[in-house]
Amino acid sequence: MSDALRDQIRDFILENYLFTSDTAAIGLDDSLLGRGIVDSTGMLEIIFFIEEQLGVKVKDEEMIPDNLDGVNKIANFVSSKRQAA
Amino acid sequence: MTHLVAAIEDQARRNGGAPALSWHKATWSYAELVGTMNRVSDALPVQAGDRVALLLRNSPQFAAAFYGVLGAGAAAVPLNVQERSTVLARQIAHCGARVVLADAAHVEFAALRDALADTDVTLLALELVDSENGCEAFCASLGTHPRRSPSAVSAGALACIIYTSGTTGRPKGVMLSHGNLASNASIIAGYLGIVPADKVLCPLPFHFSYGMSVLNSNLVSGAHIVLEDNLAFPQVLVKRLQDEGITGFPGVPATFALLLGRTQLADFNLSGLRYLTQAGGAMPRPQIQALRAALPQAQLFIMYGQTEATARLTYLAPDELDEKLGSVGLPLPGVEIEIRDPSGRVVPEDAVGELCARGQNVMLGYWDDAALTAQAVRDGWLYTGDLAHRDGDGYVYIDGREVEMIKVGAFRVSPQEIEEVLATLPFVQEVAVTGMPDALLGQAIKAVIVPREGAAPDVMSVKAHCRAHLAQYKIPKVVEFAAELPRTSSGKVQRYKLA
Repeated sequence: MSDALRDQIRDFILENYLFTSDTAAIGLDDSLLGRGIVDSTGMLEIIFFIEEQLGVKVKDEEMIPDNLDGVNKIANFVSSKRQAA
Repeated sequence: MTHLVAAIEDQARRNGGAPALSWHKATWSYAELVGTMNRVSDALPVQAGDRVALLLRNSPQFAAAFYGVLGAGAAAVPLNVQERSTVLARQIAHCGARVVLADAAHVEFAALRDALADTDVTLLALELVDSENGCEAFCASLGTHPRRSPSAVSAGALACIIYTSGTTGRPKGVMLSHGNLASNASIIAGYLGIVPADKVLCPLPFHFSYGMSVLNSNLVSGAHIVLEDNLAFPQVLVKRLQDEGITGFPGVPATFALLLGRTQLADFNLSGLRYLTQAGGAMPRPQIQALRAALPQAQLFIMYGQTEATARLTYLAPDELDEKLGSVGLPLPGVEIEIRDPSGRVVPEDAVGELCARGQNVMLGYWDDAALTAQAVRDGWLYTGDLAHRDGDGYVYIDGREVEMIKVGAFRVSPQEIEEVLATLPFVQEVAVTGMPDALLGQAIKAVIVPREGAAPDVMSVKAHCRAHLAQYKIPKVVEFAAELPRTSSGKVQRYKLA
């Protein structure tokens, strides 16, 4: 996983859900749902972001907390999908 | 049945060991639920008629607190756990709550405690633990109190206040009586055929009327409610439906859109799923048909109502779906419905007018707002603000709403509430908020701001301000800046032109 990928994901979440550029506003391992940063609609938007901006298709069965509920989790998931491609 | 508490106590007497509510690793039996309800009643320093606010997310503890308040003869005010402390404190002050039962881990808890510091409101911090010892931890946080003698409460007494889409200056607290809650719950349980063997998966918040009706109608029937915290992972949810042998699932149109669009329903064995209910706004006809095709074994109940009618006013029976597709069905037993013109006269069949209803489920009124109550309830008839018509067989079809309200998913949002929050930004000269079409949620919120001269506002700071003061679903999806707002010749802002 690259730092650039992780930063891109974090910045997307900061800009679209926390409306700030302060990187301290979210921890890389924070649960997005648990902290109330996104709701279920926001999670769908993150999936669109992963598919449209990061170029990785998210299958229905891959929509699980371990892949999506946190900056590091998303970065790891995207990274492993890219490697597998 | 005139009281929910008595009906749930009956279930506990019949089969106290039966599961009532499951939440993560915790399952509370009916005996535990009733025992904890009584502990809550005993712990409350209240008299009959006092208001007790609840800041508790969906959990067995919410149910124990809610029915415990009712059992003490007080009125429960379940607050929206998505709201910020400013709104919560305002609603607590508006209803004059003596006590607030709050989740100590709630993100707004500290801010709310500060906001209530100079008032005489008692804030009880409660432990919500989702594991096996959740019941004991909750009871321990209540403390030990002498047993309260049961109080006789009339069916017409205030049981609950639900805040619905009001504004900062004018919160709308819908007052429901014990009789309102009990009659609607028993009718819903009747037409859904809920029995103790049923197991419903509930993702709907209990602080709104749909979720509350699911809670009440299942518990008075002795059924098992399994709680689902969110719908973010639809495939996980469908797997739960399968693995836990769920027999009933309530949803709103966006829920079913998610299941149809983001899961492989055919890959799961959902043969145990006996029924689905849909309320919270109109579901497009193609989606109804797609849902029936995907889950043919499940009976689909299309339902309609509003908080002011406790929850339900009409439903369309599953076997009538083909013939009456697009209808919300017939009035519930004991409910009368008329479609009236602006002068109050009943319109002919197929003509559109305002849907008015009368029955045991019609609210007592809006808390501390006689003028608004007099507008909504006249001669015992509830004027719903919904436009509708009836066909020759009496089936009801909803044609829209008379009042300007944005429907984000199943949430009703007042544009004025958002405008009031945005107007407090120093660079805002004028603002108007409207609904815009949204593929998933039906409508999303759009704000158009006229900035003061010389100001250099940015979208992010506007949204950050909203996030600090509004529940997440009320944050505008789109914020635009304009030189002026469209107005009528009389100066009224034309919100529909902004979408």
